Amino acid sequence: MSAIATVVPQTAATGPRLAWLRDRGMGASVLVATLSAAFGVVLVETTAYIGAVLQADPFIGDSETLAVVVAILSVLLTAVAMYVAAIVTANTFSTIIAGRTRQIALMRLIGATARSQRGEVGRQGLVVGIIGAFAGTAAGLLLAAVGVQIGARFIDSPLRDFTIAQPFIVLPAVGVALTTWIAAWAGSRRVLAVTPLQAIGGSVERAHDEVAGKPGRHVGAWVLLISGAALLAAGVVLGLITPLGVVVAFFGGILSFTGLALGSVIFMPPVLRLVGRLFGSSATARLAAENALRYPERSSRMAIGVVMGVTLVTMFAVALESAKRLMTSQMTGEVPSDFFAPFDAFGTIMMVLVAVSAVIAAVGLVNLLTIGVVQRRRELGLLRSIGLSNTQVRRMVLLEATHITVAATITGLVLGVAYGWIAAQSLLGSVPTLPDFTPAGLIAPQVPWIPVVVMVVATAVLTLVAAATPTRLATRVAPVEALAAD
Amino acid sequence: MEITTTDLGLAARVQHLKKTYGTGEGTVHALDDVSVGIRRGQFTAIMGPSGSGKSTLMHIMAGLDTPSEGRVWIGDTEITGLGDLDLTILRRRRVGFIFQAFNLVPTLTARGNIMLPFELDGRRPSAIEKARIDGLIESLGLGSRLEHRPHQLSGGQQQRVAIARALATAPDLVFADEPTGNLDSKTGREVLRLLAEASRDHGQSIAMVTHDAIAASHADRVLFLGDGRIVADHPRQSAEEISAYMLAAEVAA
Repeated sequence: MSAIATVVPQTAATGPRLAWLRDRGMGASVLVATLSAAFGVVLVETTAYIGAVLQADPFIGDSETLAVVVAILSVLLTAVAMYVAAIVTANTFSTIIAGRTRQIALMRLIGATARSQRGEVGRQGLVVGIIGAFAGTAAGLLLAAVGVQIGARFIDSPLRDFTIAQPFIVLPAVGVALTTWIAAWAGSRRVLAVTPLQAIGGSVERAHDEVAGKPGRHVGAWVLLISGAALLAAGVVLGLITPLGVVVAFFGGILSFTGLALGSVIFMPPVLRLVGRLFGSSATARLAAENALRYPERSSRMAIGVVMGVTLVTMFAVALESAKRLMTSQMTGEVPSDFFAPFDAFGTIMMVLVAVSAVIAAVGLVNLLTIGVVQRRRELGLLRSIGLSNTQVRRMVLLEATHITVAATITGLVLGVAYGWIAAQSLLGSVPTLPDFTPAGLIAPQVPWIPVVVMVVATAVLTLVAAATPTRLATRVAPVEALAAD
Repeated sequence: MEITTTDLGLAARVQHLKKTYGTGEGTVHALDDVSVGIRRGQFTAIMGPSGSGKSTLMHIMAGLDTPSEGRVWIGDTEITGLGDLDLTILRRRRVGFIFQAFNLVPTLTARGNIMLPFELDGRRPSAIEKARIDGLIESLGLGSRLEHRPHQLSGGQQQRVAIARALATAPDLVFADEPTGNLDSKTGREVLRLLAEASRDHGQSIAMVTHDAIAASHADRVLFLGDGRIVADHPRQSAEEISAYMLAAEVAA
């Protein structure tokens, strides 16, 4: 029977089945690139607009400080969004390639080099990136144009000379095209491991086969994490003496979080395993838990995307709440309610902005689950034929999604509370506060409930949305598919 | 009162079964008025060239596919017209499957795979079933392999785990679809011997689809399909006799 597999490679030209699979994965990658490009363009426009408004304001005049702060924030937020998008894209491509193994093996059998096969994947990434950059720029400009119209109603002196044709919108567009290209390339590492022999024979799929990563990268992750943690601790201690502690902590945060992201395959599986135990021991729960850990690298990277979103939102919320606490720790009695109004507004805006990264991560999650189901059709057919009902299929896929989002949300909340607290503590630990101008010293982290509840609800919704398409596909798998020759 | 499958000494049967694909000129008759029973306690081989309808017959008999016309019974239950959930539960409790490859869930251990039909049913095996499973594990030589995952097992070991799972629930009927197709001949013979033993020593009804004359020679009865019809029904035969018959049929066609 193995001969059948070698006859016709399922490519876009010959096999409609794989053609749409490919479109599905690629479609999500285009969407991710579009979202981050649009986000970047909107932020560039916003920065320019705020700058223009400030300049036109006769009272503020040429105050450039605020404009610079807004610009720096825009760059940081765009970078975070692109980083999450790159992770999602790399993940998507490596998942797509896992499904294309047979086809790649056949091309290798016929005589294609691994290099040329990988190069082709890279080119596809660049095309996806360019399409996303153009679509995103267009969408971003459209949003900006609408925004300017709305803004004009609130400003007394309309900005006659403001144009949305800002030169800097090229930056996010080019950035997205390049990061998508690089991410596709990074995600296609597996192509090199495909042997021509894999075109022949029906070997059983190996579970947990992506575990073995490069040990070097794990060492790097540990180094980043440990040095980052050390800097974070130093930042908190320094913060008791000077507000400059926050600078030390900032670098500690970047290093440690990069370490976590790079080493996600070390840190996430234990969390995933722990969450899996919570589901109980029914057959569907166990299958779902095992599925989420089948490709630990894939699931971990996917989870880390959601972790980033949750961490950032939580971090802002906790940092602001803890900062308030630090500033008022010496006060007795009620704090005037509008005292922190601008503070809260800033916090809300930041949370909404970082939530865009969470949306990108969500697209990745939907994609991961969908492709996971598509690539498991045969196994689903087997399960159906030996007695897994459609209801159980549905429950299994939903639990798989829940597994990743719950693990990611818990991790993100814990990290966010830690980072947020460290940020507030290292900045304000030494700052004299009213009424008697003694510094607040160390305080416990303050967790505001509303953002946390909003996030938990949002991830619950994300889980349902992410599970919808894969569930629909999974319940359509007929038991006969387990018997079909390849 | 209608005569039941049990009265006939059958584990499963089909009556005036038709299966057509497509309409108009492109209509393909995969099965054309097939009526046959699988005898209880026997090891039956269903043979035929590619496209003869043997796989379609098995899929319909096992409740994996629906016929265009005709009726199907597993035991005394008529499965024609049953809904998806009822069919699923029927397969879970009363039918066993052994496929050519990809028999096992890769994320579960050998033990997890064997116990899967019970776990899908949300119950633990009874004491009798437990004893039966332990006996199967021992006779199939899987004792030391229970905690291994499929990719850590050889092809023959994987097939033995699949056999253990198929027999674990003591189903009315076990369907085996080219169970030796992916194995070397020695391992294949071993698997066939195990199936024949299950039938002979434990009265397990087995229906095996194959195009391999040597595999079919292990069966108590050999059904031949050609162009969607049953063309011959022979008692146990040697591999040479089966080959000779198939060759003659091929030449005649």
